Amino acid sequence: MKGLVPLFLGVFGTFAFSWFGLTVIPNLQIGALNPQADEEGTDVYPQPPSGMAVRGREVYAANGCVYCHSQQIRPDYVSADIDRKWGERRSAPRDYLFDRPVLLGQERMGPDLSNLGKRAPGEGEKSATPPAANPPTAPPAQSPPPPNSGPQKPPPGGPPTAAQSPAASPAQAKPAPPGNAPAQPSPAPAQAAANPSPSPSASPNPNGIPPLYSAAWHHRHLYAPRSVNPDNEDSTMPAYKFLYEKHPISGERSADALELTGRDVPPPGWEVVPTYDAECLVAYLMSLDQSHPLKEVKSVAASAAAGSPPMAPAGLQTPGPPPAAPKK
Amino acid sequence: MTPTADIPLKEPAISAAASDAEQLERARIDASTRLPVLMFYASAMVWLLIGTLLGVIVSFKLHQPDWLTDVGFLSWGRLQPVYINVMIYGWASMAAMGTAIWMMARLCRTTLRHPLIIVSGIWFWNIGVLIGLTGILVGYGTGYPWLEFPPYAAVVLFVAYALVMSWAVLMFRFRRGEQIYITQWYLLGAFLWFPWLYAAAQAMLFVVPIQGVMQAAVNCWYSNNLLFLWLGAIALGTAYYMIPKVIGRPVYSYHLATIGFWTYAFFSSWTGMQRLVDGPFPAWMITASIAATILTIIPVATVGLNHHMTMQGYFPVMRYSPTLRFTVFGAMSYTVFSVVGILISLRSIARYLHFTQASIAYSQIGLYAFVTMILFGSMYYIVPRLVGREWRYATLIKLHFWASAYGIGLMSLMLLVAGIAQGADQNDPSMSFIQSVSSTLPYLRGRTVAALLLTVSHFIFAFHFGLMLFGLGRTSTVPTFLNPVEAEGSEVHR
Repeated sequence: MKGLVPLFLGVFGTFAFSWFGLTVIPNLQIGALNPQADEEGTDVYPQPPSGMAVRGREVYAANGCVYCHSQQIRPDYVSADIDRKWGERRSAPRDYLFDRPVLLGQERMGPDLSNLGKRAPGEGEKSATPPAANPPTAPPAQSPPPPNSGPQKPPPGGPPTAAQSPAASPAQAKPAPPGNAPAQPSPAPAQAAANPSPSPSASPNPNGIPPLYSAAWHHRHLYAPRSVNPDNEDSTMPAYKFLYEKHPISGERSADALELTGRDVPPPGWEVVPTYDAECLVAYLMSLDQSHPLKEVKSVAASAAAGSPPMAPAGLQTPGPPPAAPKK
Repeated sequence: MTPTADIPLKEPAISAAASDAEQLERARIDASTRLPVLMFYASAMVWLLIGTLLGVIVSFKLHQPDWLTDVGFLSWGRLQPVYINVMIYGWASMAAMGTAIWMMARLCRTTLRHPLIIVSGIWFWNIGVLIGLTGILVGYGTGYPWLEFPPYAAVVLFVAYALVMSWAVLMFRFRRGEQIYITQWYLLGAFLWFPWLYAAAQAMLFVVPIQGVMQAAVNCWYSNNLLFLWLGAIALGTAYYMIPKVIGRPVYSYHLATIGFWTYAFFSSWTGMQRLVDGPFPAWMITASIAATILTIIPVATVGLNHHMTMQGYFPVMRYSPTLRFTVFGAMSYTVFSVVGILISLRSIARYLHFTQASIAYSQIGLYAFVTMILFGSMYYIVPRLVGREWRYATLIKLHFWASAYGIGLMSLMLLVAGIAQGADQNDPSMSFIQSVSSTLPYLRGRTVAALLLTVSHFIFAFHFGLMLFGLGRTSTVPTFLNPVEAEGSEVHR
């Protein structure tokens, strides 16, 4: 190298070329999209998120959910994303118009969440209503798992540590309600039977687990991820207990208090309620929905709808009605 | 291979007078860089220990998720970004800047002017990292991988960087001798690339945020280029300095070095989008990055060949020189890193390994096996020249090397195999999702073992470094060899 000037120009040139080619030009191509609307200007998609969902997205980002959950559906010819009922079509740039930050994710230690809100049990439950409000409308997938599906695969070292983590909840040091089976979560029905609800007024579902992907389910899943399904024992999702408050019941039991089972049950006279951040996070999770058709993307499910069942809330823990016998 | 007699444990013959003058000059230069470089190293070492412990906690929590969940700042989702950011901005960047400034002063044959300004820059940098990780811990992480620091921490880092690097770049103005050595290209490139890169990413993500998915593209472009154009460039420059220096032999081919540098700058800067494969992006940009990733085989081959030919016949020196052993390990890992990168970027493989632990393995090989090992090597060379003492215990150096080498080897292996198992399960829709998680768990536990090994290695190194810092090294004119040298041990490659 003879002099500094060619070196400097080269260094600058390579950088500028890469910056221009990989960020500026694609930004010209997909960086100024508009929501899609039909001829009458109605049916606009995507819609700007609600205030709670916006804040929930920040909670999601700040607490590292993105390191384990993706929010993108790959096309059916390269992946099983659509076979897993995570979505009906691949994701497109337009789906993320209002996302800031965009949380595409690069890792799937947890399932994809692109259409999590779509999988919620139904209208009228978008808010954090207690599970008692919706007993019979439960979708089939939340029916009690078959008895033999209990501890399918006890992870070596998993239960002992779970049992011996006293730090998990200080208040648990007080005498807990009877009937806890901390080490080995038994199938949910047995657990619920042995575990009377702290509040006599609430009458939860027979198995004590709210409908899958309902707001109440999300809260409980965030608070105690491994309690919502016995098959879920190997789930590596951290518990977000710090997004919830445990305090003594003053007067009435709060409407949004969590229905918990097993070791997570607060002592009598106490309750666990979501903080505002947790409410926002759940609002955000339930707002995730890419099911609206887009002109630029072919919907796989629509074309293949004849044979396949409609999108079922499956794939998070249990393959609801298994499409095929598991190979392993 | 070569008998010990051929090993150049002596300087190539120079006349005594010239040698004395050079020694004096080098001593003067080293004296001017002593304070800033040692401060860089000491700070980096503290961050390294913090990061290592965080790494163990994070790795353990991943398979024991019920451990420490009651407080927000101890949750996995916040410690994970703190861990990676401490390793990048605290450890790797600071150690790299220290090494780079020292080499720059030596290569420009000029004393470092205004070291106190650089020292204040180091303080600012430390404060910036501290602010950033506190921001993440209390819940203001941004959610962009490798850019989680809240934007106000970035401002502090910028100020710090300007204070440090303007003087490092200005050394060029005062350089003596017309020749610009290959290491200087890499260093100058890195010095300029980092601020541009960081500024571009901050501007496009926080100052004037761009729309939608392009944020993810900018994020990937940034994190990949940070690894290649900032840390990787300094590491390669260091290898080009240390290998010839230790064995006392010029770089094999100047032309290969030129080709290697420019193809490296050109192709590796275009990688990154392969991490978004099959995502909601125009196919051409992902394909362009995959093509660029494959083409990085050219700089890998030329750089690797150049180092190999330089080392030809001198490999036995690795038995003695700690610097050479670490540096060669790092340089070889650069090849492994790139080959793994090429393999996991191919579409046919990426459809299985995308979204799995394999991509984490890739980052770990790059950040640790390649960059960190070369930085360790450079510290073994530079620190004795700054404190005027030699490393005290050859055993500790050996322990450090083997614990690091086995630790990172085990970690990469575990993550790669975990990724393969996970990817195969995830692509089989008849398997429930949780089974793909279950199949990674044994490997994730293995990864914790690897993290513990690395902890041992880093604490050994930190202890040894502490001895040097407090003047407890050996007073000797003979460097510390890993194994006793049979030939007459005399002054080596000073």
